[in-house]
Amino acid sequence: MASQTLDSGSKRKRRKQAPEAEGSSGALYPKWYWPSFTSPGAVWLVFLFLLPFYTILAVAFGTVDPAFQTPLPVFQPWWWSFQTFSTTLQKFYGDPAIFQQPAIRTFLYVFTASMICLVVGYAVAYYAARYAGKYRILILILLVSPFWISYLMRIYAWQSLLQPDGYINRFLEAIGVIGQPVNWLAGKPITVILGLVYGYIPFMILPLFGSLDRINQSMLEAGRDLGAGPSQTFRRVTLPLSKPAILAGLVIVSLPMFGDYYTNNLLGSTKTSMFGNLIDDAVSESGRGPEAGSLVLILMVIVIVPMLYYLRETKRAAEEA
Amino acid sequence: MGEGHRDLSRRTFLRRAGAAAVAVPSLSAILAACSKPGSTSGGASAIASIEIARPDNPVTLPLNGDPIAAGTALEAGPLQLYNWDSYLYKKIIAAFEDEFNVQVDLTTFNNQEEGIQKVVAGQVQPDVFFVTTDYISRLVQKDLIQPLQHDMLPNMEATVWKTFWDPGPWYDTGWRYTVPYTIYTVGVEFRRDRIEDSVAFEQGYELLWDPAYKGEVVYYDSYRDALGMAMVKNGATDPNTGDQATIDQAKQDILTLLNDQDGVLKINGAFALLPEGQFTVAQSWSGDAVGAQFYLPKGTSPDVLGYWYPDDHKGLISNDTITIPSTAKNPALAHAFLNFLLDEKWGYINFRDWNGYQPPFTTIDPGTLVSDGVIPPGLSKAVVAEDMFVEGLIQGQLTPEVDKRWLDAWGEIKAGG
Repeated sequence: MASQTLDSGSKRKRRKQAPEAEGSSGALYPKWYWPSFTSPGAVWLVFLFLLPFYTILAVAFGTVDPAFQTPLPVFQPWWWSFQTFSTTLQKFYGDPAIFQQPAIRTFLYVFTASMICLVVGYAVAYYAARYAGKYRILILILLVSPFWISYLMRIYAWQSLLQPDGYINRFLEAIGVIGQPVNWLAGKPITVILGLVYGYIPFMILPLFGSLDRINQSMLEAGRDLGAGPSQTFRRVTLPLSKPAILAGLVIVSLPMFGDYYTNNLLGSTKTSMFGNLIDDAVSESGRGPEAGSLVLILMVIVIVPMLYYLRETKRAAEEA
Repeated sequence: MGEGHRDLSRRTFLRRAGAAAVAVPSLSAILAACSKPGSTSGGASAIASIEIARPDNPVTLPLNGDPIAAGTALEAGPLQLYNWDSYLYKKIIAAFEDEFNVQVDLTTFNNQEEGIQKVVAGQVQPDVFFVTTDYISRLVQKDLIQPLQHDMLPNMEATVWKTFWDPGPWYDTGWRYTVPYTIYTVGVEFRRDRIEDSVAFEQGYELLWDPAYKGEVVYYDSYRDALGMAMVKNGATDPNTGDQATIDQAKQDILTLLNDQDGVLKINGAFALLPEGQFTVAQSWSGDAVGAQFYLPKGTSPDVLGYWYPDDHKGLISNDTITIPSTAKNPALAHAFLNFLLDEKWGYINFRDWNGYQPPFTTIDPGTLVSDGVIPPGLSKAVVAEDMFVEGLIQGQLTPEVDKRWLDAWGEIKAGG
């Protein structure tokens, strides 16, 4: 006991003399020391999220310049007007509900594109993680390589390929799938959905690969030792273990898809307008700034639902682990 | 063919950059928020005094002080230009730099709304600002542009159509604040290798709605031009109408074009996508039709390009302007630049070799542009003559109430109907 007391005392003494020698304990550091490490993140959050978000509120609940019809953000909440927000909301369910179809369309496109990303991405990631062997790095590089080229340039290339006299039509005609050229760029949902898949699928593959690559081989062997066949091992071991990555991948690809507007701008038409296009149009036209802000807020509320589900699931997974 | 090709039209409209302006207000906007926005000077009180100019109701704008003195020495620069993307030939800028031994910096905007917003907010403080006619009176009311010193712009009378300086344009009688930049009509561009001239000229606007070209039509993604042309097609004679039935009919026609005919809205359809072969028919500014020859695939003759505008000239027609903002740091140099652009040589080169948009010069004979090879034969109707402005339908500023009706209709179109 005496020895422990002595030791403790000597430790405290050493700390006082050389606090920098103690890296793992914060007992002798000022209270602000460790929290200060969060300051870069806090600054980031304030300047790149909270301030812009508050500005969106100020625009959505603000007004427009009477002469130029440019948005005039109102930063004082006591002057906020909710008229435009209410009017915008009514366009989703009122008469005429002109925003309803783009909203429904957005859900359908995002759901379909996300599922395609998941199915295709999982297969690719699974192969790369488990069977590619020495080629896994090469496969990963090939997966990332499209990002070396601007998205805009790649979509322009697709525009060229998808033209009525483009190579896609020529190929499909040659193999007898279509009898005459299809105008893929005239508002075809499949073009926009595949465009979304094309743009976002790497963001699905990478987290899946990271997760599948880290699954302990002994877990799979244990499953087989217990009598599970390959498909049962996959369903009862691999799939559950990769569930957090699946959720992460779905969140990573679906959230930006909800706000995506350029894919439809470049590959679709007004017949395939999505939520992001509504925002883009409102931003671009004079007098519609508050409506643009309102649409952003409505979209935020919508996408926060899958985000909360993801957070709940990851928390549950962490607790189970 | 010009040496440099535009990547985008001078009206690469209504797409991208407005977002930044909405999302990130300027410091001045934030400071202005100390009082309730819209309640300060320049707000509701200013709008009440704005007079809506029309060709049959020309406006003499009030003077915001005096022009700079005629003998003002040229500043050292650099001269700041603020213009649409790809609307000015870089060789013109280089020539001005050489002649006046100054540096010229060009900043571009993607659409007029973006340009106006940044100038109003003070985010950009140019010496020379390119503006459409519908914004002129509002810029004057807000004291954002300065009166011009006519003595420093001798090329106006030497080169430009008289109507622009005597008595001056309807939106700025006496040309107190503006000089013209380009003139253009709004018509129908078509591929002559796919449609006979006789068919196109007979159908006129209806060519855009012809089921024979389903999926091959591109229309401008610009609400004033899009709705305006549909109205004119339907026989409207007032392209600034607030009549709800006229607006609704135009909206319905465009929805038919987009939803039933598989037409698409693009801003680069006329000058880039049609010559590249993607579309057969396009709504088109005459300047885009002329500029389209620079986008034809290698080896394709400009003769494949055709343009229709009504022979009675009762179609949409307009011009763009150049102004000097009140905050210009180099106003004398700005005057020199305006005068330089009005020079018969440089204005012509800008038109012929770069943007396809004709300047209103007396030195350009509309009757010889085709025979001189400047404009391909199929585009002869894209030539703009002075008398066309007499019969032409000119779009001007709308009242906020009427503008809202147009924008509501357009919003429905953009949402897919």
